[in-house]
Amino acid sequence: MSAPGLSRLPGRLSRAGPGPWGRRLAALLSPGAGVAPVQVAGKKDHPALLPLDEGELEEQFVKGHGPGGQATNKTSNCVVLKHVPSGLVVKCHQTRSVDQNRKLARKILQEKVDIFYNGENSLAYREKREAEKKKQERKKRAKETLEKKKLLKELWESSKSAPGETPGGSA
Amino acid sequence: MLRVLLSGLGRRGGTRGWAFRSWRCRLPQAGLLSATELVQEWTAVFEKRGIPEARESSEYIMAHVLGAKTFQSLRPALRRQPLTPGQLQCIQELSSRRLQRVPVQYILGEWDFQGLNLKMAPPVFIPRPETEELVGWVLEEAAQRPSAGEAQGGPLILEVGCGSGAISLSLLHQLPQSRVIAVDKGEAAVCLTRENAQRLHLQDRIQIIPLDVTLEGSWAHLLPWGPVDLIVSNPPYVFHQDMEQLAPEIRSYEDPAALDGREKGMDIIVHILALAPRLLKDSGIFLEVDPRHPELVGSWLQGRPDLSLDLVAVRRDFCGRPRFLHIRRSGSPGGCPVGAWPGPQPARVPG
Repeated sequence: MSAPGLSRLPGRLSRAGPGPWGRRLAALLSPGAGVAPVQVAGKKDHPALLPLDEGELEEQFVKGHGPGGQATNKTSNCVVLKHVPSGLVVKCHQTRSVDQNRKLARKILQEKVDIFYNGENSLAYREKREAEKKKQERKKRAKETLEKKKLLKELWESSKSAPGETPGGSA
Repeated sequence: MLRVLLSGLGRRGGTRGWAFRSWRCRLPQAGLLSATELVQEWTAVFEKRGIPEARESSEYIMAHVLGAKTFQSLRPALRRQPLTPGQLQCIQELSSRRLQRVPVQYILGEWDFQGLNLKMAPPVFIPRPETEELVGWVLEEAAQRPSAGEAQGGPLILEVGCGSGAISLSLLHQLPQSRVIAVDKGEAAVCLTRENAQRLHLQDRIQIIPLDVTLEGSWAHLLPWGPVDLIVSNPPYVFHQDMEQLAPEIRSYEDPAALDGREKGMDIIVHILALAPRLLKDSGIFLEVDPRHPELVGSWLQGRPDLSLDLVAVRRDFCGRPRFLHIRRSGSPGGCPVGAWPGPQPARVPG
């Protein structure tokens, strides 16, 4: 049986209203070496991702009951981070560190919020289109180069053949 | 494949057999299990047996066998692949240990702290996630107040009760000019800290000394290394009366001396505070404590004006509990100490 006091992650997290999500401002008020808003360096022509407003976030960790610290051995360092205005939620358990997971959760949530509000204009979509565009250009150039080579080869072959013979003999 | 699994169980005796017999009936017919499926199975087994963090334990063991640190960081494709017999055997062995309430960190033999990977070995105390914030606070202070000692090579830090070396080594790692004196009364802890220091190539900047700070005059052994810029500790702070309520993972496998703070969990804390004035230059003392300690430490310090120490700040952990204390010499916001208190006493070894 799971220890009482372990927060069960709610099923439908997009539901608005209080529910089990009290504001965890206390957890954020005296942060540790903590969690500054994540800045993502913008590309040349594109503005950087807007930092998340900590006041709009609700964060949840798995808490044991009792005093915690030495009295508990907890390996569950999953962080659940909710952006209240949009209702977007990120669950991060990428690393074994609560601190790292908090930072990663913010980074992922920042990207999701960008997509949510900016849709096709979001950084993620723009980067994707750019990457796709570059890929197409590379393909096109490769194709052109190949065709040029083919043409040159045919000309070379035909100039070698004796006069009167049909040009473009064997490949 | 099933035979491999069950023969292992048979050897270990029948008491755990019932959980696996019922488990066997639910295995997919094809007999090819993926990581995701086997995690589900073991989670169910752990839950039935009342193992705390059933899912997390199962996932960590699986991730470890598949070469990752967490289950979520595994590529989804890898999680769906059938497991090899070797992998299944490994999971089987590790999971059996979890059924005996061995902490996951001891089962895996390693754990992460502040981005560093550390070897873990019973009975040496396993670093708690809260303690990462203690390190964070010390780093903030070190950044804001470059000590006079930096000219000679960074802050000199004393850690009391180094355990696996988590705090010392992460400070050394993030403060390239720092040096550490780490003490612990447990032989196993001293060995493990040494080993972790070597693994991380930090052994040249750390002195690890077997020492029990509660013994009379122990501080004298530290004088040769000179006054220190700051003291950091996650001392045993569990109230003695709470020791028997600790989970089996802790009670049965971790060194009780690393946890038991005796009367009101204060014993080692007060010894650290008492030796501080003899060893500390000025920066201060950073402690992790029980949430009941800020008040207790505050009152205790008031009753010991001879130490000239003030509790200057209390910080909460990520669960909102008062967890960390910063204690400093009275009347020193920083800079050169005023001559109100005596400097370190000349070494006077008693007896």
